[in-house]
Amino acid sequence: MRNANVLILTDESEFARLLTACWQAERQAPGITVLGSESWKQHEALPHDLVVVGPLREGKLSGVLRSVEPAAAVILCVPADSQELVQLRARYPRLVHVPLREDWAQTLLLVAGESLRRTEAVRTARQAERHAARNEQHATLGRYMIDMKHSVNNALTSMLGNAELLLLEPGQLSSKSLAQIKTIHSMALRINEIMQRFSSLASEMREAENASQAETEEASTSTITRR
Amino acid sequence: MGNLATPASKLAPDVHLSSMDYCRESSAVQKKILIVDDSPSQVKLMQGLLEPEGYWPVGLSDPKRVEETIVSSRPSVILLDVVMPERNGFQICRDLKGNADFNTIPVILVTSKDTPSDRYWGEQQGADGYVTKPFTRDELLRAVRRFA
Repeated sequence: MRNANVLILTDESEFARLLTACWQAERQAPGITVLGSESWKQHEALPHDLVVVGPLREGKLSGVLRSVEPAAAVILCVPADSQELVQLRARYPRLVHVPLREDWAQTLLLVAGESLRRTEAVRTARQAERHAARNEQHATLGRYMIDMKHSVNNALTSMLGNAELLLLEPGQLSSKSLAQIKTIHSMALRINEIMQRFSSLASEMREAENASQAETEEASTSTITRR
Repeated sequence: MGNLATPASKLAPDVHLSSMDYCRESSAVQKKILIVDDSPSQVKLMQGLLEPEGYWPVGLSDPKRVEETIVSSRPSVILLDVVMPERNGFQICRDLKGNADFNTIPVILVTSKDTPSDRYWGEQQGADGYVTKPFTRDELLRAVRRFA
């Protein structure tokens, strides 16, 4: 929650002051920005994870809500009748209404906390999805290289072997040709070393993947048992 | 086993005789090595590496014709590739080791499959030796000399 941003939209300074004070008394407080219905239009692009709409000047609520993104998490903390709430929820699926009762601030903090945790969880999941997609690309490349290993090794066998055959009779070659064949031979050996390192890396990665899979399975088993 | 190599005219086109086959008589010291690999260039290469050491290499590119080639050439050792179309080296090795007529002939798998599980699987099929590609001349000769 430390990195979360909350936008409080209200024309009532007491509402904003009280809510901010309550939040700051908590163990973890989000970044808080307070804007009124007039200043809101100039700062619409401000990044936020949650919008708390408090009491506004008369006739301003619908205009302010219209400018809030439909996908945004919104906590409405203004008097509203049930008909009005049904309409608002149709437009804002993540809208929660907290009535301005005696304990409204505590209720709002509780709801806001859950909303921010959800936002954080969604963000983490999306990041994991992005990592998974990137890893999948790397895995495809790795699989291709493993598939190609057989062909590379066969080609290297021919290069190394034929170079060795030529080197068996050095007297038939000029010193320049001899040096060139020696270079081909040593370069083929170097490619072989690289391929072997790649092979051991591939098996290390396979072992790590198996260990990670076993860990995940163990964790999910223990979660099910706890339930 | 006859004293002369099988005449080249009687052999299928994928049996690669080495240059020595055309001109020499076999002697007691010359051991025949059957090389089975679907790549003719690999066959030629191994023939080239074995010949100067006094071996009599016979190459075969068609893995389906291993048994008949063994009957006709009676090799002392078989060098067997693994990744081949239609019949792989593991299958061939298993078939040879399960056949009383051939199971005394040492089989060396010569393959680019280099993981411990590949080696283990090769042993399970009854292979007597394992050489991974790419190999050096010394590695190949060391493996062959263990048996011939």
